[in-house]
Amino acid sequence: MGFFAPWFLAGLAGLALPVYLHLLKRQTARPKPVSSLMLFESRTQSSTRHRRLRYFLLLSLRLLVLLLLILAFANPFVNRNTTALSSARLVLLVVDNSFSMRAGTRLADAKDAAMRVLSGKGAARAQVAAFGSQLRLMTQPIEDQTALRAAVQAIQPGDGHGNFGELARAVRAMAESVHTPIELHLFSDMQRGDLAATFSDMTLPANVKLETHAVVLKAQPNWTVESVDAPGQVWGKAAKPVHVQAVIAGYGTPAAQRTVSLVVNGKTTTTKTVVVPANGRATVDFPGLEVPYGFSRCEVKIDAADAFPSDDLRRFAVERSDPRKVLLIHNYSDNRSPLYVGAALSAAAQSAFLLESIDVNEAADRQPSNYAFIVLSDLNTLPPLLENSLTGYVRAGGSLLIAAGTSAGGRSQIPIFGAHIVETRDYSRVPGRYMAVGSSDSSYPGVVQAGGWEGVKFFYALDVDPGQARVIVRLGDQTPLLLEKRIGEGRVVLFTSGLDNLTNDFPLQPAFVPFIEQTARYLGGSERQGGARLVDAYLDLRNSRNDKAQAQGVEVTDPEGQRPLTLGEAASAQSFQLTEAGYYQIRLANGRQDEVGVNPDPKESNLYLIDDAVLALWRGNGGQASPSSQIPSTAHKTAQTLWWYVILLVLAFSLAESALASRYLGTQREES
Amino acid sequence: MLQRFLNPSILAGISSLELVAKTVVDGFVAGLHRSPDFGFSQEFAEYRAYTPGDDLRHIDWNVYARSERMVLKRYRGETNSPLTVLLDASNSMQFGSHGVNKMDYARYLAASLFYLAIHGQRDAAGLITFDDEIRNYIRPSTRQGQLHRLLAGLEQAEARARTDFSKPMRYFQELVRRRGMVLIVSDFWEPPESIVRTIEPLRFHGNEVVLFHVLDPEDVRPQLHGPSILVDMETQNQLEVTPDYTRTEYREKIEAHLADLRDRTKAAGMGYCLLMTDRPLDDALREYLTLRGGRQ
Repeated sequence: MGFFAPWFLAGLAGLALPVYLHLLKRQTARPKPVSSLMLFESRTQSSTRHRRLRYFLLLSLRLLVLLLLILAFANPFVNRNTTALSSARLVLLVVDNSFSMRAGTRLADAKDAAMRVLSGKGAARAQVAAFGSQLRLMTQPIEDQTALRAAVQAIQPGDGHGNFGELARAVRAMAESVHTPIELHLFSDMQRGDLAATFSDMTLPANVKLETHAVVLKAQPNWTVESVDAPGQVWGKAAKPVHVQAVIAGYGTPAAQRTVSLVVNGKTTTTKTVVVPANGRATVDFPGLEVPYGFSRCEVKIDAADAFPSDDLRRFAVERSDPRKVLLIHNYSDNRSPLYVGAALSAAAQSAFLLESIDVNEAADRQPSNYAFIVLSDLNTLPPLLENSLTGYVRAGGSLLIAAGTSAGGRSQIPIFGAHIVETRDYSRVPGRYMAVGSSDSSYPGVVQAGGWEGVKFFYALDVDPGQARVIVRLGDQTPLLLEKRIGEGRVVLFTSGLDNLTNDFPLQPAFVPFIEQTARYLGGSERQGGARLVDAYLDLRNSRNDKAQAQGVEVTDPEGQRPLTLGEAASAQSFQLTEAGYYQIRLANGRQDEVGVNPDPKESNLYLIDDAVLALWRGNGGQASPSSQIPSTAHKTAQTLWWYVILLVLAFSLAESALASRYLGTQREES
Repeated sequence: MLQRFLNPSILAGISSLELVAKTVVDGFVAGLHRSPDFGFSQEFAEYRAYTPGDDLRHIDWNVYARSERMVLKRYRGETNSPLTVLLDASNSMQFGSHGVNKMDYARYLAASLFYLAIHGQRDAAGLITFDDEIRNYIRPSTRQGQLHRLLAGLEQAEARARTDFSKPMRYFQELVRRRGMVLIVSDFWEPPESIVRTIEPLRFHGNEVVLFHVLDPEDVRPQLHGPSILVDMETQNQLEVTPDYTRTEYREKIEAHLADLRDRTKAAGMGYCLLMTDRPLDDALREYLTLRGGRQ
């Protein structure tokens, strides 16, 4: 027996109250007048004893009620032996179908073992579940052997990464709802990589008895392509050679030569031989990746000749496209901004963008959607037609970089971005004659790659009210310098100074080129989702959460060519979990097409087994509540709360106390 | 209908003592009219042979005409018996467990007796109020306004001090010179032999003495619901008593006490009437009339 909330037992000190009231408090009997005491005789001793005896029952009842109330708060429970319930125990058969179970005949062996256990359990109540990255129940708790066997046979190999911590968490949740002892049979290859980060994460409840059925008794050597480093996108025909680097790893393997191939769209383009040291890693570099325009499905393969061929390749997708055009709209008199921005874009590696700069007067007939993003530099006026056109472009997923410059100082609001201009800051008139960057958001690519804009001098900036916008860089006087705001599906970045070298010396600083390059990649959407991902990773499908009016349906096609999203999910889903290995095709909410190669977690290729001692510890942890846990029928004890019984007793004793107390109070009234 | 007003608790609601007395007596007398066994008008008593010296006016001449014998016709003649009420006004008379305490009951009783004596019998009536001293004395008289004087005396009678018969008794004998009826109203919380010894001399003087023993029901059967401290109303002494005692030993003692008092008063030729304050006043009035009849 124990208490769920033992600290309430401190209330036992309250038992002193009735004792004080009944025994210690001075009895004040009111004298009763009579005509004469001539015929009366004193009976003092007996009266005192009688008085105390008379209140003893009431005192006992009150003490009992108080004691029971305290017990009710402390919530007592008894460990009920579940021997009587042993016939009602649940046999939970969990078959590991993580990626490593594809090696050899592991999954088939696990299924066979599960079938044998099912046969041995007769008419027991059982439930079948598959366990990859998470527990998936294949049946309800049933006694139908046919259905259970069919469920075991229906378990398919998966690509997920097993984690016994996740299994224990799911079983703990199940144990809370089932309330009967659970006999957990785990059929797995007991891969060491499946262990949770801490052993406490794998702790099982007291009413769960774990039995492990290892389908592999000895670790098997395995070579695998552990990782591939390749760009997700290449531009133009005259692009520089694209390198692909792959890491080949061996687990429990001797030193050996392995042949590594680069396959593009099913055709082997390059083959190399690499010496992989014993139980080590080797890197292979493919210098020239030639891919056609559009998306290409690429793989790096090895001739592993081991028992686990499924992990001998690693997929990635590459997109080749023409450099994208960027439109820079500037003032008639401004010829510095196009010069500096164009030079920075062309100087960046992999010339992904071509700058087209025009006067603001020429901008009316341009179609914004033809450009990766648009730069507005130092515009004092923006024609309403152009402003509407750019606003629609942004809402549909386009991106805009606005450099406020000096001309915007005459306005009260930044167009499209919508920030209110508080005042202009002319630092050339203050002591020191310039202002440096005060603080910056290190997570923003345009700032990190540019070294935090250290040493850049700003002579002029606009002080704007950020409102809902994210402030990325502030000057030393806390004036916002670089801000970003999401409007619909698109982004607008506001630079409150200019892109010329008049309002600052930024274009002359080394930080300018990485800033322009990263900002261009960011705004142009070149930070693509694709390339290579791991199974169970999530893909962002859309940017905005609330602007449903602008939301377009997304589309996901899985490696089998199926569309896993329903129409409702396609209209509203923010992200998507990649559950299978292979190539996924995606159409995002902003209209962009993408393709990603999805690979199993490389930890699954490590086929080392969990030590027997660790497994024994885990099994013991599941049944350590009782020393006799080896006997399933008497092993488990469940805590059964006595709260209801205590409350019923409180009620009964309270009624008795009320009846008795009212009788005594009535007596006292009469006497008084 | 009027009987209903003899209930002491109803009488307690009437503020005028005269009205109380009238109500009691009228109700009592109305009850008597339905009972032919009782009466107090002049009536024939006996014939007696004439002896020389007898008043010739009483000779029954009809008998002489028939039988030539001279006989005297005698009637139950009415006599004036002065009534003196000795009212105990000690503290113990204030005790009452219900609407009427013993003092009130005694007042109603005395008032009713005075009313009956003065209006009904045309007797002289007087009042002596005492505790351990004589507090008030109203000489028996038939004068106009005597009833009001007596009732005023009753109204003024305040219960105080303690009862002591021995001290005021000698004064009784001086005050009650003319033979008549002496009614002593008290709760008699003294030993019976002491009471009788003190009162006996009144009887020796030729008075008809009646003890009206007024007791509250709780004087006889005290109701205690637990061990209690009891306070004597006269001496203020305290005593802790248990309910067990009052239920057993006390009852035996009080019954013995009452029986002893009754026996001793009878033996001394005095009347005794136990009156409980929750009972109507009929018994007291009936006792008085019985005594009054006996003296004619």
